[in-house]
Amino acid sequence: MEVDSQEQLQRKQSTYLSLDENFEIQKEVYRGQQYSQIYFARLHMMRTLLYSLVPNWKSHLPVCTVLELEEGKECIIVGTLYKHMKLKPCILDEYSKERSVAPLIKPHNFMHQDDYLVLEDESGRVKLGGTKLSPSVYVTGVVVALHGKETSAGAFFVEDVLEAGLPPQIERPLKSREDKYVVFVSGLSIGSSSSNPLQFQLLVDHITGHLGDEEEQGFAAEIVHLVIVGNSVEISHGLLNGQNLASKDQSRLSEPFKELDILLTQIAASLPLDIMPGSSDPANFALPQQPLNRCLFPGSATYNTFRSCTNPHCFELDSIRFLGTSGQNIDDLTKYSEAKDKLDFLERTLRWRHLAPTAPNTLGCYPFTDRDPFLIDSCPDVYFVGNQEKYETRLLKGC
Amino acid sequence: MSQIETLGILEEIQALVSDKLQVVSYKWLSRNFLVSSNVAKRLLAEFVEKHGSGLEVVYSLSGWLKNSPSNYHIQLVTGPKLSEAKQVYDGNCRVHVYSVQACIPKDLAALWNTEFIQAEELFKQPTSVDNCLRDNRFCGISNSFVKRNVDGTPAKVATAQPNSVGISGLSIHNSAQFSAPLPSQQNKVQQSSSKVAQKPPIVVKGIKSDSISGGVHDLATKPSADKEKNTSFPSNKKKGQNDKGSTGNGGSLANFWDRASAKPKTCSAPADNIDSIQNSNDAQISACEAVEHENSDIDAQEVNFGRASNSEGNRKRRVVLDLSDEDEYEDAVNLASPDPPKRKSFLGSIQNSKTSVPERPDVDKPDKDEVTVKEERTANREPNRSLGEETSLGSKSTNGKNSSSVKLESQLPETDLKKDKVTDASPNSPKRRKVLKTRIDDRGREVTEVVWEGEETEVKKVESDVPKKAGSGATNATTNTVANTNSRYAVGTTAPSNPGVKTGNKKAGNAKDPKQGNILSFFKKV
Repeated sequence: MEVDSQEQLQRKQSTYLSLDENFEIQKEVYRGQQYSQIYFARLHMMRTLLYSLVPNWKSHLPVCTVLELEEGKECIIVGTLYKHMKLKPCILDEYSKERSVAPLIKPHNFMHQDDYLVLEDESGRVKLGGTKLSPSVYVTGVVVALHGKETSAGAFFVEDVLEAGLPPQIERPLKSREDKYVVFVSGLSIGSSSSNPLQFQLLVDHITGHLGDEEEQGFAAEIVHLVIVGNSVEISHGLLNGQNLASKDQSRLSEPFKELDILLTQIAASLPLDIMPGSSDPANFALPQQPLNRCLFPGSATYNTFRSCTNPHCFELDSIRFLGTSGQNIDDLTKYSEAKDKLDFLERTLRWRHLAPTAPNTLGCYPFTDRDPFLIDSCPDVYFVGNQEKYETRLLKGC
Repeated sequence: MSQIETLGILEEIQALVSDKLQVVSYKWLSRNFLVSSNVAKRLLAEFVEKHGSGLEVVYSLSGWLKNSPSNYHIQLVTGPKLSEAKQVYDGNCRVHVYSVQACIPKDLAALWNTEFIQAEELFKQPTSVDNCLRDNRFCGISNSFVKRNVDGTPAKVATAQPNSVGISGLSIHNSAQFSAPLPSQQNKVQQSSSKVAQKPPIVVKGIKSDSISGGVHDLATKPSADKEKNTSFPSNKKKGQNDKGSTGNGGSLANFWDRASAKPKTCSAPADNIDSIQNSNDAQISACEAVEHENSDIDAQEVNFGRASNSEGNRKRRVVLDLSDEDEYEDAVNLASPDPPKRKSFLGSIQNSKTSVPERPDVDKPDKDEVTVKEERTANREPNRSLGEETSLGSKSTNGKNSSSVKLESQLPETDLKKDKVTDASPNSPKRRKVLKTRIDDRGREVTEVVWEGEETEVKKVESDVPKKAGSGATNATTNTVANTNSRYAVGTTAPSNPGVKTGNKKAGNAKDPKQGNILSFFKKV
């Protein structure tokens, strides 16, 4: 075997710290509880936060609960928003109409101009009026502080809104002056008819340093981490209809995983890799999705660089904090509210300090009893979402 | 590479492409002829120069595009379209030969097929083989921090490493540091593997240890802990308690099920493991186990005792432990004989049971976890299911064997709680002693029971509840001199007989199917 005339390039390294414990549910016990507790935990945490922000915002106004509202009195109330939507699908519809075949395309947006917002806290709820608060922007589950007064009709006329705002970001001086890159890939959909394995192989070749000349391999050596943000495999639904599978069909079930495993082995052999579950992956449906089982990846799981992670996923590389999801939260926001582009949704979730405000209302969620793991305490340096239609990026600067 | 070798390879490529009509990509070439990718590309370029006519060549273009913001683009183009494809790139784009083939297939993914088949072959090789797929040796970038756990167990992925050594948090030591502990580990491995045949390796690790030291040892001992182990190892993820004197016998397996000590100790166990690994020569087996998995994995820890059980006859059950799920834990039935110290503790607790008979909550309802200590089981037995399971330590046979631990383990969500209660109870056990009596009961079975002979009596009501999962029987209420404690038949117990306490002792000649309850248990015995 020939010895290369040049020395092999060394891949750059960075320290990795996983912060996924919040999203793990192994310690949770299900006792038949409903979702009120997670809402209460959310309200409690956010309300404490908002109460601390209110004096800076409008200190002259009293803060009261919904039940203490008096007509005409200007005050501030804090609670969870609920958006009443006319077109929102309801489980009872299944019983009233004939069942139709589930559409394969993504359901459209459920907004309607008659939607209205309601503010709710433990004491009661009040319908919100006024033009300041636009129902198309907000969704159920967001905790805000509202300044306004009760009208004679019993509604609350909103004059101003206070969102929690961007969470504080830990000051981190950049230690090294060299460039390091993190690769995010999503929607590989191995096993679907539309996926092109050649493309993924090209990517793997590029990242691992096979492709290209030395200069290009030099670029690739600066890649320190790869995150696969969900939807790595796609199993055709025909196989999953609950019937027993013939043995030839069974191999069709496992082939995508074998292919993925071979590709992941090639990656894991050269750099650290995180794989997150997505909506089409064999993980649980409700957020937070638990890591894909390592037995699905017998070849790649043997590497110490292979890491199976939860969705949402939070980690730190060289003290830079990354936080992101495989897209279910943003997709849900798309269905129930509107914005110019997906990055607006992302920004809103940061300003609301909650990764998935629509959980558990329209997004599947585990009924946590004592905490809401989707609250964002500290602002990430990189906030990502996977499986969207196109690639976009934005730099957000807070005060 | 010498000229001769180059020529040889070029000829082979010629044969493959022209005669076999195979797609020869640079990666296929590199893996096939064991050259690095860069060399393979050069070879292909030479081939194209010399023999390229009549063959289709696919080039790979990579560079920054002219659009803004500029994207880095990697593209495959065929020969004819090369020059026009280059236009899109801003400045120089890098070109090299990607593959050579007789003709371009319609479905471009077919270009990938041959390479993938080769990759699949490499992938299917036994996991102990470190082939070029697995260590990526032919790429242009090397990464010394990638470690692969060759014995097939997933390498520990060390997560939260607060004081990580500035490396990607995964592999902590480079090979230089391994060398010292390696030989000693090697020895341990040798010894342990010979032991494995006789005794099942005992699970030693606590699971969720993220300790760095754990990671260190994991990696340090990983290379050694392999081939010998492959055959006789139970699977990786294990939870257990490192019996400090763990000698790999049945005792430590029993400790495995001793949740009283296991639970609080699991966190300390890994730490202990580490030390003991380093120090004790005894704990080789545990050492080797500890190597595999300090797994911070959260999935259900599957303890595969299949192999272990084959080597040791009494283990019949496959135990699946889910750390979070206490229910399953309770289903674990210990068929092993607990070791003598434990037995003594049982005995001790049995002695005390007269005055303090804890009520075990029903296994089926772990949420009812009050464990109350009752002085006497008198009449107020509500028809409450949770009370139906009253078991007492007194019902254990002195032989200690499986039954006692069976009952205890299988029923008590908090064994320690019980034990505490027991020991907290007043030690003023009345004068009585346990006596083994063998007799034939009405159904013709030989029953060996532990019978309390003493002064005090306890009055018990017959429990006429539905049999519980292990076929529990009811108890009698007797008013005779012998204390009667309720017995729950976890496994294979007999009909309740008069004075007494059942043993669940299967080995005492109980011919009954362990799972069946005894129908006569519903009736009072006179």
